[in-house]
Amino acid sequence: MKRIAIVATVYRYLSHAQHIGDRFLVGYPRDGAWHRPDMKVVSLYVDQKPDGDQSGARAKEFDFQVYPTIAETLRCGGSKLAVDAVLVIGEHGDYKRNDKGQVLYPRYEFVKQCVEVFEKDGVAVPLYNDKHLSYSFEHAKWMVEASRRLKFPMLAGSSLPVTWRLPDIELPMNSEIESALMVGYGGPDVMDFHGFEAMQCMLERRKGGESGVAAVQMIEGEAVWKAVEDGRISKDLLTAALSRSDTPQGQAVVDGRTQDLVAKGELPKLVKTPAAYFIEYRDGLKATLLMLNGAVKDFTFAARVKGAGVQSTQFFLSPEPNVTYSACLVRKIEELFETGKAPYPVERTLLVSGVLESCLTSRFEGQKRLETPHLSVQYRAPQQPQHARS
Amino acid sequence: MKISRRELLVSVAAAPIVLRAQRRPARPKLAAICTTYFKYSHAQHIVDRFLEGYGWNGTWHHPPMDLVSIYIDQIREDDVSKSRLQQFPSMKLYPTIAEALTLGSSKLAVDGVILVGEHGRYPRNEKGQTKYPRYEFFKQIVKVFEDSGRSVPVFNDKHLSWNWEWAKDMYDTSRRMGFPLMAGSSLPVTWRTPSLEMPLGSRVREAMCICYGGVDSYDFHGLETLQCMVERRRGGETGVKWVQAYRGESFWKAHQDGLWSKDLFEASLCRSHTLKPARAGFNHIMPTADEMRTLVKDPVAYRYEHQDGLMCTMILLHGLIEDFNFASRLDGQQGIFSTQMYLPMPPGRTTLANFFSPLVNNFEQMYLTGKETYPAERTLLTTGLTAAGVESLFKQQTRYETPHLAIAYQAPKQSTFWRT
Repeated sequence: MKRIAIVATVYRYLSHAQHIGDRFLVGYPRDGAWHRPDMKVVSLYVDQKPDGDQSGARAKEFDFQVYPTIAETLRCGGSKLAVDAVLVIGEHGDYKRNDKGQVLYPRYEFVKQCVEVFEKDGVAVPLYNDKHLSYSFEHAKWMVEASRRLKFPMLAGSSLPVTWRLPDIELPMNSEIESALMVGYGGPDVMDFHGFEAMQCMLERRKGGESGVAAVQMIEGEAVWKAVEDGRISKDLLTAALSRSDTPQGQAVVDGRTQDLVAKGELPKLVKTPAAYFIEYRDGLKATLLMLNGAVKDFTFAARVKGAGVQSTQFFLSPEPNVTYSACLVRKIEELFETGKAPYPVERTLLVSGVLESCLTSRFEGQKRLETPHLSVQYRAPQQPQHARS
Repeated sequence: MKISRRELLVSVAAAPIVLRAQRRPARPKLAAICTTYFKYSHAQHIVDRFLEGYGWNGTWHHPPMDLVSIYIDQIREDDVSKSRLQQFPSMKLYPTIAEALTLGSSKLAVDGVILVGEHGRYPRNEKGQTKYPRYEFFKQIVKVFEDSGRSVPVFNDKHLSWNWEWAKDMYDTSRRMGFPLMAGSSLPVTWRTPSLEMPLGSRVREAMCICYGGVDSYDFHGLETLQCMVERRRGGETGVKWVQAYRGESFWKAHQDGLWSKDLFEASLCRSHTLKPARAGFNHIMPTADEMRTLVKDPVAYRYEHQDGLMCTMILLHGLIEDFNFASRLDGQQGIFSTQMYLPMPPGRTTLANFFSPLVNNFEQMYLTGKETYPAERTLLTTGLTAAGVESLFKQQTRYETPHLAIAYQAPKQSTFWRT
C-alpha cells in the first residue's frame, strides 16, 4: 500500500486540501462505484491553522501524524524519505497579494522543500501540485526542471481539463484550430487560471503540438466591447460558447427566460468589468479568455476547427459540496502515484502558469501587449482523452 | 348532392375515423395550451424557447415555427405571460382552448399543439394526485380537430393524466385519429454523465433509478428515466405485470433484506453529484445505512415486474440526493451499467432549466416531420406506472396487479438524448 504525504496551506471544510485529501481517506466515486484508493495518508503538513482547521481531527480519525515541517512530513519524523508520493495543495489560506493581484501562495517554497528532502535522501517520489505551479514563471520553471533533474513524475493543474463536458467532446488529435475562445467568470489569478487550463487542454491537441506562446495582452473595461465589435473577439465563437452556458444572468434571473445575450446586446449591461486575455501562440494560433462576471457563472469553450466548423462545450463544475470534478482530478493523481507516470504533461500547467503571470503583468503595465519569449514551452498532448467520460 | 365536411363527420361519428392527415407547411404555426405561466413554470420553460430561442448544437437556435396563440388557465399574481405577450405581439392570448386552436375562427388554424398541464392550483384527490386538467384540455383540443375535420401533432408535457383511464383514452384517440403524439419528461432526453446509451438489444437483468422529490410528481421522472433505458432491451418493451410500493419502515426493511440489489443502489448513489454528506466537515462521503435513515425521512420505492420478467425499482430518496441516477445489470457484461440523467436545475445551480432544450427540440421535429421521435407508448406506460405506484401506496403498499399495462412497443434505434 502506497504511503502518501499531504503538504497543504490549510485543511478546512471545502478547501482544496480537504476535498482532495479526504478522497484518499474516505474514497470517491469512480466509474459508478465507490473507490477506495489502495493508499494510506501517513503524514500531513499544514502551513496555517485557521478557524475550522481539520488537520488534527483527520489525523486522529485516520491514524496519521501532523508534522511541524515539510521535511518531517516527508520523512514521517524519521531521517529518510518515508512516503511513496506527495500531494502539494497550496490553495486557500491567508496569503498576501502582490501589485499585479497575484496571491502569493507558497507552492514553490513547498515543492522546493520537498525537492531538498528528495536530494538529501537520494530518493524522489511522484508529486502532484494543485492548481498553477507558482505565481512566478521562474519559480514554476524551477519546479518542473527539478522534477526532470531528479526524475520524479510531476502532475499539476486544475480539475477543469478532467471534469465532465457538456457535451462530451474531445478535439481530434492534430486538429487544425483556427481560433479559440474560453468564457469564464471569477476573479483574476483565481478563476482565470481554470479558464486557461481548460482552454489549453483543448488547444494542445492541435496540429504540430504545443509550441508555446509568443505574446499576450490583457485588457479590461470598454476596450473589451470594442474588441468584440472590431472582431478581435469573434461574435460567432462568443455566441457558440454562451449557447453552452446554463447560468446566464440578467433576464434569466428576473423571469427565467432564455436569451441570446450576444445578439440582444445584453453583455455590456450585465458585465461591469469585462476582462479579455489575448494569447498569441508561436505557431500563429490566436486564442482569448474572456471573463464575464455578471453575465455567466460557468466555463464554456468554442473553437473554429478546419473542416469541423465551430466546436463548443461546457466544462462542468458540478455543485457544492460534492464538487465531483475534484473526484475526476483525484483519479488522475492516483494514476500518477500508482503508475509513476503523469497522465498528462506538467508542461501544460507550466505554460498556463506563465501565460497567467504575463497577462496580469500586461494588465499592470497599462494593458499593453507583451512579448513572451520565455514561454516557448513545447510539449505533446496525450493521445487519449483524459476527461471524465466513464 | 354536396355534403359539407361537418355533415360527413357527423354521419361517420360512430365509426373509427382517421382524419385527413395534415399537409405540412414550411413554417408551422403552433398553439400553446397551458395551466399557468410564471417564472420557472413548465409553460415558461417551454413557451419561452419558442419565443426567444435557445442554445442548441453550439449556436442560438430559433425554432423554424411560430407560436401564434396561447391559452392560460390560471393567471397568477406572479404571472409573466403579460410581458411575453407585449414583447411578442405575434403570439395572441385567447380566452378558450378552442379559440387558441382556431385563432378565433371556426376551424383549426394551427399546425401543432403544445399542451403544458403542469403547475397551477388544482385540487388533490384522496390518493394525493394533483388533478392537473391535461385530459380535459386534450378533450377540448380533440373536439376542435373533430369539428375541423383535421388533426395536427400534439405534445403533452409530463404524464398524460393522473387518471389511467383518461391517459389511455388520450393515447387511443391519437392512434384512432392518426395524429402524432409525444409526451413525457425531459429526463430521457437530457445530458447524461457519463454520456452513455443502453445498447439496443441488451439483456437487462435488473434496473434501478434513485432520485428525489415526491409521489405523483418526481416519481414520474424516475420512471421515465428507467423506461427510456430498459425499453432498449432484447425483445423490446412488453409492459408491466404488477407494481408494489414501499414507504417508510417497509422501505428500509426491503432495502435491508436485499429485495433490490444493493450493488445497483450503491452504483446509483455513485453517479450522483449531490450526495448529501451525512457527517459534518466532509463534502462527499458514502453514508452508512443508519446515516441514510437520519437524512431520508420519507423513502419511497416502486418495485415492478415487466411482462418478460425484468425487475425494476424506482426509489425516491428525498433528503439524500437531488438528481436522477440510473443503474442496471446486463447479462454478458461485467460490472454495472450506470449513469446520471443530469438536470441543470435552477435556481440553486443554474439560471436556466436547459434540460427543456432537448425536450423542445425533440417535439419541434415532430411538428416539422409529423413523426414522433420516440414512442408515446413509453409515456403511456410510465403514466400507468405512476398511477399504479400511487394506487399501491393508497392500498397499504400491497402489490397492485397491472394487466392493463401490458403495453408492448419497440424503442427507436436512434438515441434521442442530448449529446451534441
